[in-house]
Amino acid sequence: MISNKAKKQIDDWVAKYPTGRQSSAVMEALKIVQAENGNSLSAESIQAVANYLEMPSIAAAEVATFYENYNHKPVGKHTIRICHNISCMLNGADDLVSYLEKKLGVRTGQVTKDGLLNVKKVECLGACVGAPMFQIGDTYYENLTEKKIDDIVDNLK
Amino acid sequence: MADIEIEIDGNVVKAKAGEMLIAVTDREGISVPRFCYHKKLSIAANCRMCLVDVEGAPKPQPACSTPINEGMKVHTQNEKAKASQKAVMEFLLINHPLDCPICDQGGECELQDVAMSYGSDVSRFTEGKRVVTDSDIGALIHTDMTRCIHCTRCVRFGSEIGGIMEMGGTGRGEDLKIEPFLKEGITSELSGNMIDVCPVGALTSKPFRYELRTWQMHSVANIARHDLVGSNIFTQTYKGKVKRIVARDNDGVNETWISDRDRFSYEGLAHENRLLKPQIKVDGQWKAVEWDKALEFAVRGLVNNALNADGGNKLGALASNTATLEEFHLLQKMLREVGSENMDYRLNVKDLDNVIDLESTIKLAVLEEVEYSLIIGSNLRLEQPMINHRLRKAVLAGASIDVINAMSFDFNYRTNSENIVAPDRTVVILAEVLKSILERSGAEIPEYLSTIKVDDVAKCIADKLLASNNSVIILGEHAINNPQAASIAKLIREIAQQTGAATLNVSATSNSIAAEMANFVPGQGGLNANAMLAADLSAYILLEVYPQYDFHDFVQAIESLDNKNTFVISMNSFKDKEVARYSDVMLPIASFYETSGSHINIEGVMQSFAAAVSAPSESKPAWKVLKVLADLLELPGFHYASSEQITSEISNQSHQYKVDDKAINITTKRGVSVIWQKSPYAIDVLSRHATALQVTKIGQMHSASMNKATAKKEEVKEGGQYLGVPVIITEKVADNCVFVNANQSTGGRA
Ligand code: SF4
Ligand code: FES
Ligand code: FES
Repeated sequence: MISNKAKKQIDDWVAKYPTGRQSSAVMEALKIVQAENGNSLSAESIQAVANYLEMPSIAAAEVATFYENYNHKPVGKHTIRICHNISCMLNGADDLVSYLEKKLGVRTGQVTKDGLLNVKKVECLGACVGAPMFQIGDTYYENLTEKKIDDIVDNLK
Repeated sequence: MADIEIEIDGNVVKAKAGEMLIAVTDREGISVPRFCYHKKLSIAANCRMCLVDVEGAPKPQPACSTPINEGMKVHTQNEKAKASQKAVMEFLLINHPLDCPICDQGGECELQDVAMSYGSDVSRFTEGKRVVTDSDIGALIHTDMTRCIHCTRCVRFGSEIGGIMEMGGTGRGEDLKIEPFLKEGITSELSGNMIDVCPVGALTSKPFRYELRTWQMHSVANIARHDLVGSNIFTQTYKGKVKRIVARDNDGVNETWISDRDRFSYEGLAHENRLLKPQIKVDGQWKAVEWDKALEFAVRGLVNNALNADGGNKLGALASNTATLEEFHLLQKMLREVGSENMDYRLNVKDLDNVIDLESTIKLAVLEEVEYSLIIGSNLRLEQPMINHRLRKAVLAGASIDVINAMSFDFNYRTNSENIVAPDRTVVILAEVLKSILERSGAEIPEYLSTIKVDDVAKCIADKLLASNNSVIILGEHAINNPQAASIAKLIREIAQQTGAATLNVSATSNSIAAEMANFVPGQGGLNANAMLAADLSAYILLEVYPQYDFHDFVQAIESLDNKNTFVISMNSFKDKEVARYSDVMLPIASFYETSGSHINIEGVMQSFAAAVSAPSESKPAWKVLKVLADLLELPGFHYASSEQITSEISNQSHQYKVDDKAINITTKRGVSVIWQKSPYAIDVLSRHATALQVTKIGQMHSASMNKATAKKEEVKEGGQYLGVPVIITEKVADNCVFVNANQSTGGRA
């Protein structure tokens, strides 16, 4: 379930915590295992992480379901994380979500047919000055308009 | 403890610095509403219902997580406190359904109660409420998660008390959901307590679902008799039937918890298999008759078959270890009056000349303070859940635990070293431990230890016993049929004496201690259970005996009872085809909660209980039946009007542990040994008939576990049968050893 490479990476994180506190590494471990599995976590992988860190499965599941960084359904190669919190909403985020959905032919939570993209609505990403905004990978794109979205999205490979 | 003073609602109150405010108000009887706070669980402070006004604090403070300070001034009832409580209540009710009439918790719901006093009578919330899909978490607990208020008491119960975190909160914000992982269900042996801690109708008793409202029932204080603790319970009854069992607080015994076995066994009472009418066998045919006929028939049989010809010599009595103290007493008194010393309750012991003789010398409350414990021959968690719970507390406080078992069991705490060895090794390890202790104190090494070589494991155990001021050695049920049972007990006594360790004997469960107290054991010249069965007696009185489950060798037992010349009087609460085969009279008796009596727990504390309901149909409490039998036999001294009179007669009697003086024997035997253990939910006839318990994971334990090598030797495969039980191959079992967990006994092999 967890590759040896991933185990090594997890062990590095475990080493940062006092002995017996290996479960403190659960967030990183979930991230590592998620990256290995097409960027989403199945119940089995959550269980595998829990077993590896000797913690109750449900405790790992609590973490995995709390944070937005973990996906529980298959995702596209790129995830467009579009903010729909107050500042962005006031600046038209909802319309942009509809625009994206129409443009890509999928609803939020679904993956495009070519497996390239999916759209996820997220809460404030702390970039309110540039509202409305979204994030793809590690990059923030701010002051979005429909035109700007076309430019960005059409260039994704 | 009163070292500081604070002021609550204008009254000065003494308290201990650092205590939480709510602990003080609770002690003083000042009511502060709460949902997440529970006195036996950690503090979560997530519901905010307990807000009170503390002078000087800018905002209202949660009483459950505000430590008190000298001179603190608290208002629980002023405007500010009331307003915050009311506001929290309104928030809590936003998503909670307002349909108490169709909720099973209605009438005993903390939310309902608090809403009555702090809530508003109209809801200002007109939006849609959240709905949560339910998961099926097993046969014991029904879930209705839309009602959950996320207090996390059940979650904390699992991780802190149950010892396995089974419930958790997944998702976030509005999507937060309390559920087990992967709908795995709940498996803990203490799971039913979650029903008690859940303040709302989210977790309710499944067997009791939609049966009754709490106010329709009578609650009768009672004692559960399925283990050596005698947990305090309330039996809740309606129209003469036990409908539910809930925990009753007793800090010295079960705190606020009870095991699932104690909580759900009552279901068996209503089973269709109850024996309800006296019956006599005439020309091989069973005939239902009136009580007086049956008793007359019984007495005539006793007199003609045994008493006339041989006095009491050819009469024997066997009783189940679930009988009450009073029943044991009457039965032994009756036998001794007619001149018989043949009586026994130890039906599952193979060699009654080689028995465990070990006193329990520690209080339950002290058990949670021990620094070190050595557990021998016990799956403590499932066999004695409440004792295990105390020990778990000790472990959480830092105690270290070593185990000597034939199979590796799932303890719900960390054990230090687990020695998984075949039963014959136990005595050797203990001998090594003793030798190591003696060597260090420079004491003389007795002859029987001279050839013993102390290895590291034993040395380590000896070290810990010597180093600790507060340790306990626990000897469990798996040792009763150990070929060296007596020597094991003796070595433990020696070790305890040398090190000051306490001992805890959990090898005979239920009400076995009462049987000993009542002297329900063969006296001078009397026969024990095995000797009786081998001796061709001409009459028996059997009290609540179910041969296929109770005798270690039921084949032989049935054969010897099923004899034309043996007159057998059986007193049973349930029908049983083997009992019907060998008996001549069957007298229906009351089951648990249908009779008054007493249980004696591991501390030697006698806990008496009243009958919660009367025995169904024509069945009668066994003590009454025994009294009438004695009267009909014209024996003196049986004029009891109540079971309490019997109890006080016994209290004046003292019991001496007979110390046997046989030498310690450390020779070991070769070959495969079988340990047979009744499944935890099949230890007595009532739990065997409790349907919900039986379908749980623990209730389904029915297997002969052995490792690959042993399986090869015994020529069985995974899934095959061994002694009539499905085989599981696992390396958790010691080599040369089969661990059988089954309802029925194995017929003599174990
Ligand atoms: S199920 Fe009950 S005990 Fe568990 S969190 Fe919800 S309300 Fe609290
Ligand atoms: S509200 Fe969108 S970034 Fe803050
Ligand atoms: S009881 Fe204090 S916050 Fe819940």
